[in-house]
Amino acid sequence: MNSLDPRVNRLDVSKTMEGELLTNSHLITWEVFHQDKRGKQVVHCGIVHANTPEMALILAKEQYARRGKTTNLWVAKTSDVYTFNSEDEDIFETTPEKVFRDPGYYKVRDRIEKYQQQNKINV
Amino acid sequence: MSNATKELLFKMADDALIIGHRNSEWTGIGPMLEEDLAFSSMAQDKVGHAQALYNILHESFGEAEPDKLGFMRSESDFKCCRFVEQPIGEYDFSIVRQFLFDHAEFIRYDLLTQSSFTPLALLAKKVKGEIKYHVLHGDTFFKQLAQGTEESKARMQSALRDAWHLALGIFEKSEFEGELIAQGIFVGEDELRNRWLAKVTAIVEAAGLQVPDTNESKIELGGRRGYHSEYLKPLLDEMTEVVRLDVNAEW
Amino acid sequence: MYGSTNLTEEEAKRMNTIEEDPEKLEAFEARIARGEKIEPQDWMPAEYRKQLIRMIEQHAHSEIVGALPEGTWITRAPNFRRKLALIAKVQDEVGHGQLLYSAAETLGKTREQMLNDLMSGKSKYSNIFNYPAVTWADIAVIGFLVDGAAIVNQTINSKGSYGPYCRALERICYEESFHLKQGHDNVVYLATGSKIQRDMLQAAINRWYRPLLHFFGPPDKMSAHSEKLMKWKVKLASNDEMRNQFLDMYVPKILELGLTFPDPNLRKNNEGIWEFSDPDWDEFKRVINGDGPCNKERLAVRRYAEEAGRWVRQALMNPKDKYQVPLA
Repeated sequence: MNSLDPRVNRLDVSKTMEGELLTNSHLITWEVFHQDKRGKQVVHCGIVHANTPEMALILAKEQYARRGKTTNLWVAKTSDVYTFNSEDEDIFETTPEKVFRDPGYYKVRDRIEKYQQQNKINV
Repeated sequence: MSNATKELLFKMADDALIIGHRNSEWTGIGPMLEEDLAFSSMAQDKVGHAQALYNILHESFGEAEPDKLGFMRSESDFKCCRFVEQPIGEYDFSIVRQFLFDHAEFIRYDLLTQSSFTPLALLAKKVKGEIKYHVLHGDTFFKQLAQGTEESKARMQSALRDAWHLALGIFEKSEFEGELIAQGIFVGEDELRNRWLAKVTAIVEAAGLQVPDTNESKIELGGRRGYHSEYLKPLLDEMTEVVRLDVNAEW
Repeated sequence: MYGSTNLTEEEAKRMNTIEEDPEKLEAFEARIARGEKIEPQDWMPAEYRKQLIRMIEQHAHSEIVGALPEGTWITRAPNFRRKLALIAKVQDEVGHGQLLYSAAETLGKTREQMLNDLMSGKSKYSNIFNYPAVTWADIAVIGFLVDGAAIVNQTINSKGSYGPYCRALERICYEESFHLKQGHDNVVYLATGSKIQRDMLQAAINRWYRPLLHFFGPPDKMSAHSEKLMKWKVKLASNDEMRNQFLDMYVPKILELGLTFPDPNLRKNNEGIWEFSDPDWDEFKRVINGDGPCNKERLAVRRYAEEAGRWVRQALMNPKDKYQVPLA
């Protein structure tokens, strides 16, 4: 090959593909989780294709810890991570309405002040 | 003392620059996207180490700036070993080279954290983590390929044979060995070679392959004295092709 | 094109007549209208899935093929700063490819299928990478102007409806800002340097001008429209809009260095729209269909890489592993 790229000219580019790539020939996927600082949550950031946990960690380091801060990475096979079905998103729907679980629902300042006035309590 | 230290720095820097340059040739054409990224990263690390080492030469010994040292010296001024000059070949050779070279590099830098020459000790402490990763990468790939398919086993064994006497050229001794050891700058190439041999042999045998027999007369020496393989000059010509368009310009 | 969709007349017609489950479709479209993202497990119209795969896949191919013209000069970068920056930049392109293939994989097409389609010529990639990086200055121009064009495209698309694609694009946009900076840095050093450097840069700009105009695809009046893709937030801006934004941002930055473009008609009119000479859309068509200066080489190198790496992947592969669509 007469390329402008000297690297390409050193390759034996006559070596063409014999047949197509089969499924999994680029290995299976692993979900990757990233922790940027000690004390922070470990957060999902994407996938890598790999064969073993060691390989997945080594390859994840390059794709997901190439910039910024990282203290650690976790990996799990995609097949080992479970989720709810998308149609079941409705099970979470009424949660924000359950204000009796929220600290902001409990307001007693007015009640205290009214009692103090009625009973002539001075603080 | 300064000549001994300078020589050590030059050979380390030249090794790093040339092997970093070689490994960067895989960028975009690696065997799998994720591995392409890993090899690129390691290439950048090595080129970065070269720059840092040239910088010590510049600041501590009044040598020229890193860009001049890296890009403007002639072939015989380079003190890299012949191992790093070899073309990238196929992935079997490149992985075996990465595996063998980085074990030597890790041990060398580890020993240098105790160096009496402070700038080098500081650099060694700083880049230890990077080189640890290179070793982890090399070990993982070497082991998995050595135990993969019949083809990958055969390729790893064959690449090991091709690389062996080139790799031993890393430990070519200088005339300053005695001084380096006496001054506490570095424990010397013999010590390094022994530790390297023990480490590498253990891993190769655990992976089911054989370490080639060492024939001292076949070891590829000369690089440390400026006598290089046929590959270095074309590499340097290519590396400096653009800068030589206008050596006085700022690029 | 690069992350945008250019439909054939036929495809546009077909898309506008496909019927899907009306109730599900209504909920799906309402979600998008509310500005919510669609995630991989959601019900989606078949056409939405198909067009997204095509767009994301093309974008992924563009990244890894784009690594090749820039890789042309990796071994010849003239100093440490440029050497490190270029290796890092090209590495990022490969990394972006990985992120984008991953996003497309969530839609059900495997990475292997996508690579097969690239290598057979069935799937396209951004046309601009079928042109050669003739000199070192081409690297500066690619790093600044081609990446600049890509950022315009990516920033707009990151507001789209598909979760995984948006997340990939956010990450990509952040890394691209480094590319742009180092590209501009390179351009400025060449432009303000010696005569040799300046002439080399001007020649490169002259070479890449027309391909850059082609980058955003044919003018709106020449493209088939799909209101549906706009409604589904798959296509978010017209080709002309994006091209105009690009020219507005980058033409002044070249002119301020005292450099020129090889087009006497390039100017901003009173309505704020950039006008330019017809960039020859026949050339665009020829090149995208295989007849460009580098098409053969790009695919040959890609096929080489896959073939040469085959023994490595085979050795790593565990035959008992089962394929699973990635999650997000």
